Amino acid sequence: MNNDYVVKMENITKVFGKVKALDHVEFSLKKGEVHAILGENGAGKSSLMNVLNGIYMPDEGQIEVKGQLVNINSPKIALDLGIGMLPQHYKLVDVFSAMENVAAGSRKTTPFLNKKKILDEMGKLITQLGMDINPNKKVYEMSVAEKQSLEIFKVLYRGADILILDEPTAVLTPQEIKNLFEIVKKMVATGCSVIIITHKLEEVMEISDRITIMRKGTTIQTVNKEETTPQELAGMMVGDVMELNIPYVPVERGGKCLEVKDITAVDRNKVHILDHVSFDLYAGEILGVAGIAGSGQKELCEGIAGLYHLKSGEIIFEGENIVGKNPEKISQMGISLSFVPEDRLGMGLVSSMDIIDNVLLKDYRNKKGMGISREVSRDKAEALVERLNVSTPAIENHAVSLLSGGNIQKVLLGREIELEPKLLVTAYATRGLDVGSSQIIYELLNEQKVRMKPIMYVGEDLDVLMSLCDRILVLCEGRVTGIVDPRKTTKEAIGLMMSGVRSEGEEACSIS
Amino acid sequence: MKKRLGVLMLALVLVVVSVAGCSSGSTSKKDEVTKVGFIYVGPADDGGWSQAHDNGRAKMVENMGGKVETIVKENVPEEKSAVVSTIRDMVDQGCTIIYGTSYGFMDGMVEAAKEFPDVKFEHCSGYMTADNLGTYFGKIEEPRYLSGIVAGLTTKTNKIAYVAAMPIPEVIRGINAFALGVKSVNPAATVNVSWTNTWYDPTVEKAAAEALIQQGCDVTAQHQDSTATMEAAREAGKLSIGYDLSAATTMPEVYMTAPLWDFSGYYTDSVQSVIDGTWKSQQYWGGMNDGIVLLDALTALAPGTAQGQVDTATEAIKSGQLNIFTGELKDQTGAVKVSAGTKMTDEALLSMDWFVDNVVGSLK
Amino acid sequence: MLHIVKKDVPKNREKIVVRLSAVLAALAVASIIVLVAGANPIELYIGIFQGCFGSVYRFSATIEKMVPLLVLSLGVMVAFKMRFWNIGAEGQFQMGAVGTTLVVRLLPDLPLPIMLVLMIVASFAFGAVWLMIPAFFKARFGTNETLFTLMLNYIALTLVTALQYDFWKDPAANGMPKIANLPENALLPSVSGFNLSILMAVVIILAMYYFTNRSKIGFEIAVLGESENTARYIGINVTKTIIIAALVSGGLCGIVGMMQTTGVSGALSTEITGGLGFTAIIVAWLSGLKVPFVVVNSFAFAVLLQGASYIQTAFQIPGSVAEMIQAIILFFILGSEFVLQYRFVSDKTKSEVA
Repeated sequence: MNNDYVVKMENITKVFGKVKALDHVEFSLKKGEVHAILGENGAGKSSLMNVLNGIYMPDEGQIEVKGQLVNINSPKIALDLGIGMLPQHYKLVDVFSAMENVAAGSRKTTPFLNKKKILDEMGKLITQLGMDINPNKKVYEMSVAEKQSLEIFKVLYRGADILILDEPTAVLTPQEIKNLFEIVKKMVATGCSVIIITHKLEEVMEISDRITIMRKGTTIQTVNKEETTPQELAGMMVGDVMELNIPYVPVERGGKCLEVKDITAVDRNKVHILDHVSFDLYAGEILGVAGIAGSGQKELCEGIAGLYHLKSGEIIFEGENIVGKNPEKISQMGISLSFVPEDRLGMGLVSSMDIIDNVLLKDYRNKKGMGISREVSRDKAEALVERLNVSTPAIENHAVSLLSGGNIQKVLLGREIELEPKLLVTAYATRGLDVGSSQIIYELLNEQKVRMKPIMYVGEDLDVLMSLCDRILVLCEGRVTGIVDPRKTTKEAIGLMMSGVRSEGEEACSIS
Repeated sequence: MKKRLGVLMLALVLVVVSVAGCSSGSTSKKDEVTKVGFIYVGPADDGGWSQAHDNGRAKMVENMGGKVETIVKENVPEEKSAVVSTIRDMVDQGCTIIYGTSYGFMDGMVEAAKEFPDVKFEHCSGYMTADNLGTYFGKIEEPRYLSGIVAGLTTKTNKIAYVAAMPIPEVIRGINAFALGVKSVNPAATVNVSWTNTWYDPTVEKAAAEALIQQGCDVTAQHQDSTATMEAAREAGKLSIGYDLSAATTMPEVYMTAPLWDFSGYYTDSVQSVIDGTWKSQQYWGGMNDGIVLLDALTALAPGTAQGQVDTATEAIKSGQLNIFTGELKDQTGAVKVSAGTKMTDEALLSMDWFVDNVVGSLK
Repeated sequence: MLHIVKKDVPKNREKIVVRLSAVLAALAVASIIVLVAGANPIELYIGIFQGCFGSVYRFSATIEKMVPLLVLSLGVMVAFKMRFWNIGAEGQFQMGAVGTTLVVRLLPDLPLPIMLVLMIVASFAFGAVWLMIPAFFKARFGTNETLFTLMLNYIALTLVTALQYDFWKDPAANGMPKIANLPENALLPSVSGFNLSILMAVVIILAMYYFTNRSKIGFEIAVLGESENTARYIGINVTKTIIIAALVSGGLCGIVGMMQTTGVSGALSTEITGGLGFTAIIVAWLSGLKVPFVVVNSFAFAVLLQGASYIQTAFQIPGSVAEMIQAIILFFILGSEFVLQYRFVSDKTKSEVA
């Protein structure tokens, strides 16, 4: 046994339904190192860490912690082994002070709070790590960074010396990121080992000692920082260009249909989720939108549809600025949005209703008077089912939630197309679909493109984006880092842009 | 989704309807038996008013020896529709005379009397009558006066608590009689009234009693159907006058005596008159001489001097020598309401809406 | 340790078996209590149905109990369809009765037809406003409507109490705290025990069927109830929809106040609701928020209520025992819904599954 390794995961496999989330993954962590796990969304980073933290039980493989073969059934056991994971969504009690949050749920806590003892212990750790925590400050008065520090502190206070940070920098400002890295360095200096999940290359290069790259549920390679470059990492992260059977249909693009000028939006934490985004969209083209999840794709789609409040900027559609119009009006103008969220249902479809009623959703206002009629929708639903080959026992009295994912998405997208929109905005249309179903969706989109519809396609899979789209807009942290022609660029270049490196050809591309 | 449940319920209903239909002959009544309905405002074992009626009912059934069957409905709200539908149920089941035992049943009984002209109705403590609707009540003020004597002799703080249900003449009369009893032996003592606006709600009754005890009262009296007032007295270490039923065994720590009801004689006579066909609508208002009201035997907790004074007063009331509501009576403002030597008329008593001068409390 | 896990959609056969056994189990358990109370359970259960269908009068009494429950359940159903937990039917009922009484007090001499129309309008408005208050706060500030509507029940009750014991106390009642009976020209006409509210209920059933299944706003309410995100995505005005649903839901519950005041009780009082506002919640929920099943289930509940009332007098069992039988049946039916939707899994099998 090499005692240098505090964690050794071998052959870890985890299957969810038919999907292999982790496929014989190897991972090891040395004592006192910062180890970055790099990968696109869905690469299996979080799944792997959830296995280590006892949230998932692996179907195959073994885990050694500090030289011991272990069976981690729960986060509690993980913590006993010294493994603590920083939750992505902070679990703090708003009305409690920092000290009270630390005490709550800690096994060191006695039935009656010994405040002095906790404060003493906290004070020691705080000075040791140089953290900026005021034990008496209430959580609701804290900034995001303070809350994060507090979460880290909580984990350390409970005795963890192996710390997992899942995308810790996503919500922080550059200055706050610097502070966080300082803390991480001090933790390592005191003997902790840190695993950091991220997709930002420059951060990886700055903080980590070793880097494990994951893609599609497998480990590609583990490298030492000194022996690699950001370019090489980006290449490994996105992989080679895959030959997909998605025909690119060349169409002579038409006139400008949508002009997005300088739109800016902030999220709940006052972070800029869209930062001066500008682009144009033309008839007969598919504009792909690429980016790491949470880079502003959802807000961009919803901003266009009038569902997300834009702080500034203009969106010109048919000569009119539609910013500030209500969603109903925008939808009536012919802009259709089909957004497939992680759980597939919940936006655009009503899971407990049948296909007819889901078609009716977009249609019912067209009838005059107080009533609704299902006759027209029934015809449309029938046409949709037939044309897209939706596999369903019935279009009536059969909730769409009972259909398979692919069929649900066919219904969602098919309905939008069936309604002949003037502008089609679609996000994650093939999320979770098998190859065959995805193919049908791509064909649908191409068909619309040939009919000179302007289409915005938000996607996750770079290979797909590159073969399907006419242009690709890359978002990183709410900023456009490039608008490129996929046939004139490389996957690595796009990967770099997704990680925040601006494209040099940006101007040229967006004008062309 | 829930279609099956609906179908199931419907099926169940149908099945049992058909079963019910087949066996509907099973409850055929015997000709000899007279069915009598009793409607109570509280549970039949409330330890007070409703139980007093139920005891009377049970005794009557015993007295009639198998000629009578009774149907009881408890917890009927003082609301017209509830009363009417209860009466309809009872008539539907063959009752030929129905006793409603709470004042608030009046509207419902008047209405039902119109609806069922062949059924006899008797309403306890009400004042509306019809050809087939009579009223019955007792002069509970007589034993209340006597219990006032006990309370007046007991109090050290000269403050007596009186937890009362509603400011209607019946209750006001009782309070005044009690206060006059107190005054006859202890002119300095006051009777402190708190309204609960309910006949039966132990929680509310107890809270009212506790408030009065906190204000310095050391004896409690009540016009409530539960024993909650006495419970409050027990917890505070005070003494109590009960109501309706003897609490000598249930509240031995506090109970001194109580004005009691004994409806058995009245119910027996009344039901007998229905059987004999001699029943007539009347307004019965019996006193201690008739046995419908009485004072319970004093317990050892009552002051030693009380027995003699109570006996004297009892004698005087029974012989007609003492009429409680005889002038001079002053109201709370000191104004003379009844001049010296004058007896109040029945009409005035039945609509009494003022307190005598040693009562503390408002009429609302 | 045991875990509770949500099941797949149960098969129809399973549903029938589970529900039927629930009813049978309920009757079996209730039998024990009946035996302790000294009655024969079989006779008693037969008695329940005799009490409901045994004569024209008994049937009319069942219907009389069904009508308010039905309309209340329909009202509650509309709000529930939107996942707006209106626990305040009781209060809206009372406010509707207040509105009705107010009309009569302000305009006591109107002819019956005009009086009825005005009373319907007033009761609807009073009930609707009572629910639109929490709806407004929910739509505007995101307040929790469950607590809000529940608390408004107590405010309504307190208001009625104040009216009954003080402001509207009948001076002719000799100190008895009651509100004066409505005059003849403000009472719902009735024919042999069946009053006009049955006709109103039929109209309301048809209207609500149209409303929930065939109207735009009903459709929007259903969509909003399923997913606020979807509603926003297809451009439904969420605030407006919440307010309209509240208007209909509260208004219907308010109309029940009018039906009961003018058709049954003849006067407003604190006792007027009889707790039906809460029973309606159960009825609406058990009916899967569908109009036809609301009708069937309110009838079934009316049978339970009337049956319980009947056996109390017919078998001379205490009122509390009749209520226990009701409660046991209800408990088992609700429990069967749980059994249909969840199953117990031990730790061991769970880790195998995972």
